[in-house]
Amino acid sequence: MASSLIEFSKSIADAVEQVGVSVIAVLEGGRDGVSGTIWRDGLAVTAEHTIRGYDEVTIVLPSGEKTKASVIGRDPGSDIALLKIAEKSSAASLADEARSRVGEVVLSVGRRGTEGLATTYGVISAIGGPWRTWQGTRIDRSFRLDLNPFSGFSGGPVVNARGEVLGIALSGPRRSIMTIPSSTVNRVVDQLLKHGRIARGYLGVGIQVVAFPEPMRQTLGLQSERGLLVVTVDPKSSAEKFGLLLGDIIVTVDASPVHSVRSLQPALDSENVGKVINLEIVRGGKLLKLPVTIGERGAA
Amino acid sequence: MFEPAMFEPAVLPAANRNSVAGINIGSAVGSVSEWLRRITVRVIASGQSHGSGVVWRSKGLIVTNAHVVGSPSSRPQFVRSEIGGGSYEVEFADGRKAQGWLVARDPKIDLAALAVGMHDLQAASIRKARTLRPGELMIAVGNPWDGAGAVSTGIVHHSVGKSSVLTADIRLAPGNSGGPLADAEGAVVGINSMIIDGFGVAVTSEAVERFLKRSRLLEVV
Repeated sequence: MASSLIEFSKSIADAVEQVGVSVIAVLEGGRDGVSGTIWRDGLAVTAEHTIRGYDEVTIVLPSGEKTKASVIGRDPGSDIALLKIAEKSSAASLADEARSRVGEVVLSVGRRGTEGLATTYGVISAIGGPWRTWQGTRIDRSFRLDLNPFSGFSGGPVVNARGEVLGIALSGPRRSIMTIPSSTVNRVVDQLLKHGRIARGYLGVGIQVVAFPEPMRQTLGLQSERGLLVVTVDPKSSAEKFGLLLGDIIVTVDASPVHSVRSLQPALDSENVGKVINLEIVRGGKLLKLPVTIGERGAA
Repeated sequence: MFEPAMFEPAVLPAANRNSVAGINIGSAVGSVSEWLRRITVRVIASGQSHGSGVVWRSKGLIVTNAHVVGSPSSRPQFVRSEIGGGSYEVEFADGRKAQGWLVARDPKIDLAALAVGMHDLQAASIRKARTLRPGELMIAVGNPWDGAGAVSTGIVHHSVGKSSVLTADIRLAPGNSGGPLADAEGAVVGINSMIIDGFGVAVTSEAVERFLKRSRLLEVV
């Protein structure tokens, strides 16, 4: 039975070693440097907020070699920055994150400057569905981990016992590790490579939640109890262009009811930029349909 | 003075290897910690404060933390002249008790050595901490509060390199001080001495050997 323990110990150390060839140190990040993960050949990701303001960073490669890497893309919404690394690199292998289970062993792996790898051990406590960061970015899956954070872990991978990457580790609330799952990182990396940035949808309206009076609901046959009252319209936005007016009340977006500011966010996901959405609005006591093309934030 | 221990893998309780289908990590931890308890002692200073210690050599050499056997500020940095000066009660896992004499103490690296008048002790098997890889399983045994022989597990946080301390992602309690930090085979790699940011910090086995040699408690290693 003791041999099973020795096997277990070896397999954990092997998992660290295996992913370790894809873990770099980013010396400018954080207080004492952070980590990064080689995601694709010649490309690494790290924690965006830790290297804000840098166009170029000093990295320590798995070989121990110190070199420069340029920052070629940033997405503050998911806290992912993309680094171009010149050297031949071996990308981390990704886990099939949909098959991860509660109770599964996970490791956070980071690189401490030139001192080598550092790791902590724990389990997946809970797995949840998609969630949004406070900036509104959609994250495809939530992992709650029973796993200690440590100095410089940010930007490194969270891996399973086979050394396969479940996601990128970032600082969560109350000394916890928050994970951006690999599927989301892939999406962010694709968009950063294509556009150099993450496009954010923009409608150009200021809104406020209002309750429909009961007689109005009955007259118009409304299913929802609440709608979104337009209180400002940005003159350069698609809202203005497509004819939204002050006082309009948005009832549905593409036939799904909107009853809070957050419920409007999915329509503004980056993949919807340039797409037409169909709004149903109440104007002058009447229900009417209004197609609007989603614009891009900041692209006045 | 003290003969070096046999540097061979710990003799673990025979397991019914073939009768268990699948891996049973839980009982494996149990059998390794059972072995570690045999080489772990309780060090009782002035009748109340409890710490742990490790039987480092079978002929009565116990290693513990300097802070377990005296307050660090009140004594000189290195006390050899104190031989015979301080005495502590040492309690073994089998219930035997002995008087332990402080024979060396170095608060700088937080190590101390006690000699007991027994020559048939089960001594720890020792492994060099610098051979550890990050992620290797770590097992600690100690006497936190009233939990005699309490066990906790974790992993090596990062390689030791040239450092004389080993950091492990393991949950320790104050009574773990002076007790063993061991690998999956039960080989001792360090003496637990501190908790920093929730991580266990141990003085490496190499540092212990150097300390004992410096104190002239070991003639041959």
